[in-house]
Amino acid sequence: MKVRTRFLANDVPVETELWPGSPALDFIRGELGLVGTKEGCREGDCGACAVLVGELVASSESGAVLAGERVASSARYGARPSCLLALGELEGRHLVTIEGLRGAGEGLTPVMRAILEANGSQCGFCSPGFVISLTAFLLAGPPYTEEAAFAALEGNLCRCTGYGALRRAAAALVRDFSGLPAGYLERLEALTAAAVVPPSLLAFARGELLPALPPAEAAAAAPGSAPPLVIGGGSDLYVRSPHPAPRDEPPLLLRRRPAFTGIRRSGGLLELGAALSWREFFASPELRAAVPGIERFEAELASPLVREQATLGGNAANASPIADAAAMLIALGAKVRITRLEGGPVLRELPLEELFLGYKKLALAPGEALASFAIDAASPRLFSFEKVAKRSRLDIASANSAACLSLEGGRIAKARIAAGGVAPVPLLLREASAFLEGRLPDAATAREAARIAASEASPISDVRGSAEYRLTLLKRLVLAHFERLFPGRGIAEEALA
Amino acid sequence: MRGIPESERNVAGLTRYIDDRELPARSLFARPVPAPCARGRLLGIDASKALALHPSVQVLDARDVPGENQVGGIVSDEPLLAEGEWGYVGEPLALVLAADRSLAREAAALVELRYEELEPLVDEREAAAAGSFILPPQSIASGDVAAAFARCAVVVSGRADSGGQEHLYLETQGAIAEPGEGGGVRILSSTQSPSGVQRAVARVLGLPMSQVEVEAPRLGGAFGGKEEQASTWAALAALGCRRSGLPVKLYLERRDDMRWTGKRHPYSTDFRVGADAEGRLLALEADFYQNSGASCDLSPSILARTLFHAVGAYRIPEVRVTGHMCRTNLPPFTAFRGFGGPQAFFVIESALDALAAKGGWDPVELRRRNLLSEGDLFPYGQAAERCLARATTERLLAKSRWAELRREIDEFNSSHALEKRGAAIIPICFGISFTTIFMNQGGALVHVYRDGTVSVSTGAVEMGQQVFRKIQLVVARELGIPESLVRVAPTTTGSVANTSPTAASTGSDINGMAALAACAEIRSRLLAVAAARLGAEAGELALESGEVLREGAPTGLGWAKLVAEAYLARTDLSAHGFYATPGIWYDPKAGRGEAFAYHVYGCAAVTVRLDALRGTYRLESAAIVHDGGDRIDASVDLGQVEGAFAQGAGWSVLEELAYGARGELRSDTLSTYKAPDITFLPELEVEFLEGRPNPKAVMGSKAVGEPPFMYGIAAYFAVLDALRAARPDLPAFYDLPMTPEKALMHLARGRG
Repeated sequence: MKVRTRFLANDVPVETELWPGSPALDFIRGELGLVGTKEGCREGDCGACAVLVGELVASSESGAVLAGERVASSARYGARPSCLLALGELEGRHLVTIEGLRGAGEGLTPVMRAILEANGSQCGFCSPGFVISLTAFLLAGPPYTEEAAFAALEGNLCRCTGYGALRRAAAALVRDFSGLPAGYLERLEALTAAAVVPPSLLAFARGELLPALPPAEAAAAAPGSAPPLVIGGGSDLYVRSPHPAPRDEPPLLLRRRPAFTGIRRSGGLLELGAALSWREFFASPELRAAVPGIERFEAELASPLVREQATLGGNAANASPIADAAAMLIALGAKVRITRLEGGPVLRELPLEELFLGYKKLALAPGEALASFAIDAASPRLFSFEKVAKRSRLDIASANSAACLSLEGGRIAKARIAAGGVAPVPLLLREASAFLEGRLPDAATAREAARIAASEASPISDVRGSAEYRLTLLKRLVLAHFERLFPGRGIAEEALA
Repeated sequence: MRGIPESERNVAGLTRYIDDRELPARSLFARPVPAPCARGRLLGIDASKALALHPSVQVLDARDVPGENQVGGIVSDEPLLAEGEWGYVGEPLALVLAADRSLAREAAALVELRYEELEPLVDEREAAAAGSFILPPQSIASGDVAAAFARCAVVVSGRADSGGQEHLYLETQGAIAEPGEGGGVRILSSTQSPSGVQRAVARVLGLPMSQVEVEAPRLGGAFGGKEEQASTWAALAALGCRRSGLPVKLYLERRDDMRWTGKRHPYSTDFRVGADAEGRLLALEADFYQNSGASCDLSPSILARTLFHAVGAYRIPEVRVTGHMCRTNLPPFTAFRGFGGPQAFFVIESALDALAAKGGWDPVELRRRNLLSEGDLFPYGQAAERCLARATTERLLAKSRWAELRREIDEFNSSHALEKRGAAIIPICFGISFTTIFMNQGGALVHVYRDGTVSVSTGAVEMGQQVFRKIQLVVARELGIPESLVRVAPTTTGSVANTSPTAASTGSDINGMAALAACAEIRSRLLAVAAARLGAEAGELALESGEVLREGAPTGLGWAKLVAEAYLARTDLSAHGFYATPGIWYDPKAGRGEAFAYHVYGCAAVTVRLDALRGTYRLESAAIVHDGGDRIDASVDLGQVEGAFAQGAGWSVLEELAYGARGELRSDTLSTYKAPDITFLPELEVEFLEGRPNPKAVMGSKAVGEPPFMYGIAAYFAVLDALRAARPDLPAFYDLPMTPEKALMHLARGRG
C-alpha cells in the first residue's frame, strides 16, 4: 500500500510516494538534490545532516501538545538530524535546509555571516549543520546567553576549528540577537525581518502555505503481509539499520499518533506518552512540578538534535541495558502501560523494571506497543541522576544510575535506585533500595548501599568499559547520589575514607 | 547561485564535495568486498548470487587488474585487491559495481568468500617478539650514551604507550573515475596527494601517467588520512571505470571508513633518561615499537620523524633512540597531523615526568632547565637556529601567571577531597620539511588573464587548512593587486605535475614559494612593458595597490590597463614557478643531516579539574604561546592552532581506539569513538610571538599545521597532576589516552 507524504521543502510543496520509513536524509540529498545537507555518520552523532523541521502546534511551546491536534495558532521549528528522521515524519511539516535558509538566494544569512567572519568554517563540511543549529537556537527563544548558544551546538562535530571560532561566532549572534521577542510569532517576524530565516517560515506558521492535513491514520496491515515497521524517534532504529529496506506497508509512526503522545495528569498520576520526545519530556511543566530539578539532567541525555527525535518509549523499547531514560523512569517508579500497536485500550500495566526480561528481551508480545508511562506525581521526592561516559555530552554511559528518595523525619522513608550498564537490563537495585528505607542518609548508609548495589550488579566488559570498572563506577555513583542529594555533609568523602 | 563569492560558499552549504557531485548518466557505484577477519587466506570468490541480483552488477577481483596489482608506495607490499593471504579486516578482496549505491551494497553482501582464517597479530610488542617487522630498525645516536648514564645522578626508566587516533575527517574517503578522452581516465579524488593517486592509478591500470588526470577538489577534512590512503579508493574506482567503460563512484560510509582505513600509529616505548644532580639532562635511550599495521604505507617516514623528535624541546647531549616497525594485522597505520611527532613528545614528556618525580624536582623547573638554546645540537647533528624555546616558554609562564596558578591549585587541592585540580606545561619544537628530502619540492602555474584577473594553480590541496587563502594572499601581495582579483584553481595533475602531497605542514611553504617565483617572473615582464610605456627603467618601477609606482610615486598606470597593454604587446602572461627547499639533507645510515629547513617553537599550559569521586575530568583552561613567524593571515593561523590543540587534547584524554583480540575495531562508529565536542574544549588563549619573521619560508611565515597538535599532550599530564594530588601514594602511569576508566581505576586502587 503506497502512501503519500506531503510537506513543504523550503518554499516548494513536495509530494512523494517513496516509502515513508526511508531516512529523510536520503530523500533530501537524492530526490530533492539539496546536497548542502551532508551525510557525516548516520548515527545522529555529528550534526552534519541537521535540518530545521517546522510543525504547527496547538498553543504553547511547552511541549504539552498532542500530535494530530491541528489548531494552527503557531508553529515550532527545531533542528533535527535528518539521518534519524523518517521521511513520513515530514508529513504536513516544513523542512528547511541550508539552501532554504537563504530564501531567494540573496547573500548570506546573519548566522552564516557570523561564522564566516569568525573564520569558523575551515573544510566546511560541518558548516551547514552549525548554521542550522545556531538558527534553531535563535528560533527557540530565550535565554540568549553564550552558554545556551554553546549548548545548542553540542550535537555538531567540527574536526577542524577546535570550536574557538565557532564559539566566537555564537557569541556574536548572542550579542546581536539577545533582544528577540519572547512570543513565537513575534520572534519569527523579527528573524524574518533580519533575514535570519526566509519568509516561508512565517507564512507556514500562519498556516498560509500548507493546507491542514488530516492526521495520519493507523494503517491496517493487509492480511498475510509482513508487519509494518514501527518507528518511534528513529534514533536507535536508523543507527541499527541505516538503510532499511522499503516494505509494502507504510511504517507506523508513533510520534504522529495521539494515543502515544501527550502528557496527562489525573489524580496523583502523571501519564507520559511513550512517543514523547526527550525534549518534550524535559520541557513538560507537569513533570518539572512532579520531579523538581529533573530538567537539570537533560543535557546529559544525547544532544539537542537527538532530543528532538529520541522518545521515552523508544529508549525503553530498545531494551538497551544502558538506556538513560529507562534508569530515570525506573527510579521514578514508572508503570508502563501496554497497548496494541494500532492503539486502543490499555491491555495491561506493569512496573517498568519488569518489562525487561533479559538482554534486549521485553515482556511484549508481537503487535503490542508501549503506550505510556505513569508516575506518581502526588508526593514530593528527591531525584538524582548520575552518568559517566567518556565524553560528558552526547555519549553513551559506561554506567548510569538514578535515585529517587523520600524523607521522613530526616530518615529515608522510600528509596528506588536504578542503574544501567551493570546488568543485561536496566536494573532496579532492589536490595540497595530496600536497605535504605528507614535509615539516616549518612556515610555508613551510603557505603553499605554502594556495596549492596555492586553485589546486585553483573556487568560485562565492552568498548565502554571493563566489568571491573563498571562495578567500581556503580559504587561511586551511589555515593554520588548522596553527595548530590545531601550536599555539604561530607558523606562521600567519609564513605571513601 | 550568483551573489555568493567563492570564499563564502562553505557557510552557505554550496561547496561540492565528492558525494555532492552530479554524476553522468549510466554511472556505476562501486563497493569493495572487505576481508571478514584480520588475517586469512582467500580460497575462492563466488559472485553468482551477487551477479543474479541485477543486470548492472559486476564483480571484479585481482585477476581483473590490468596493470600491477599493487598500490604500496614506499614498499610494494599492498595489493589493490588481495590475492592469497590478506592482512587486515576490511582489506579489499573484490570490487562490486552496480547501478546505484544500495544495489552495490546489497550485491557486495551477496558475494561469497571461501577462505581459511589465520591467527592474527594485533599488538606491536607481540609482533616484535614474533619477529614480524616491515623493515629493519632505524636509529639515531649521538655520543657515548653508556658513559653518559654512568655520570648521571638520577636515572629513571619506564614504559610509555600511546594509542592510535581516528582522523574523523567529516567527509569520508571517495573518488569518481570517468573515461578520459584519449583512452585514459579522469579522476576526482578526495586526496591530499593528486600526484600520488595519479601514480597509483597508472600503475594499477598499466597506463602512462600522462593518461591519468587527477583533480582534488576541496576536501571535507583529511589530517593525513588522505595522503597515502586515498590512493586505494581512487584506484578501485579507476579499475571499475576501466573494466566497465562507465563512470564509477566509490564513497565510503562512515563505519566502513572507520573500520577499513588506517589511523595514527599506536606506539609502545621503553625509555631511560638520566640527569646530573642539578637536574641537567645528560642521556636518553628509547626503543619505539611502532604498530605499523599490515603494510608499510608511510610508516618508515613517520618513524623517522618520531626519532627526530625524541628529545622534544630539550637539550640532551647523549642520545640513542631506535624505532621498530612492527607488522600487525590491523589496517595499515598512516599519516596523521604530527606524523610520529606526537608519539615522541609523549615519551619524552613521560620520561621527564618520571625523572622529576624520582629526582624530587619541580616538573616545570626541570623542563626550564633543559630547554633548547641557540646553537644546541639535535641528536641528528643539526643546530637549533633562531631558537625560541625559552622565549615562548618564559612568555607562557608569565602569561599564565604560572607560580600563582600553581599555588592556587595546591591550595585548592589541600582543601578539597573530592575534587582536584591539575596543571602541566609542554614546550614544543617541531621540524619543518618532509623527512624524505626529495619530497621538498613544488610547482605553481600562474596565469594573468586579459581582464587582469589571476588564476594560480599549485600542488597544494585545500582541505580546510586554508592554504588557498594563504596562496591567494601571497600572489596578491607579490603582484601588488587586491586579493579579489586572484583565484586559486582546483588542484589537478594537468596544471602542476609531480607534486608532493599537501602534508608535513609544508603546503603553504613550498607551494607559496613556487607561486611567488612564478609571480616574480610575470611581474618583471609586466614592469618591462610599463618601463617601455613610461620611458622609465624597470628598476625604478614597482607594482603596488593595483598600479605601477615609479620610485614610490603613482604613475597613473593601473593594473588592468597594464595587463591589457602587455597582452596586446604579445607578452607571456603565464609563468611556472618551482621551489625546492634549499640546504636540507639527511644521511639515514649515519643518522646525520640538516633534516629540517627550520623548527617551530611554542609552549602550552593546560589546567584540568578532576572529579575524584566519579573519575571524570574536564579541561579547565589552556594557554598557548606560539612561534608563528610573520603570519600571512592571522585568523587562518589561529584556526590552525586552535584546531590542532583540539585534536591533540582529544588524542591525549578522550579519543580511544579499541581493538578486539582478533584485530577487529570495536570503536567503529561515532557513538563508540568520541572526538572533542564544543563542551570538551576549554576556552583557549593563544598568543603569537610577534616580531620574529622566519627567513626560511614564504613572506617570513612559519608552517603551522602540525606543531600545535603537540600542545594538547599537556592535557594528559595535567590530569596526571590532579591524579597525583588525589593519590600521592601511587606512581604515575603513561598510557595515553587518559580515560575516565583509567582515572577511576587509579583513584580506586586498593580502596574500592
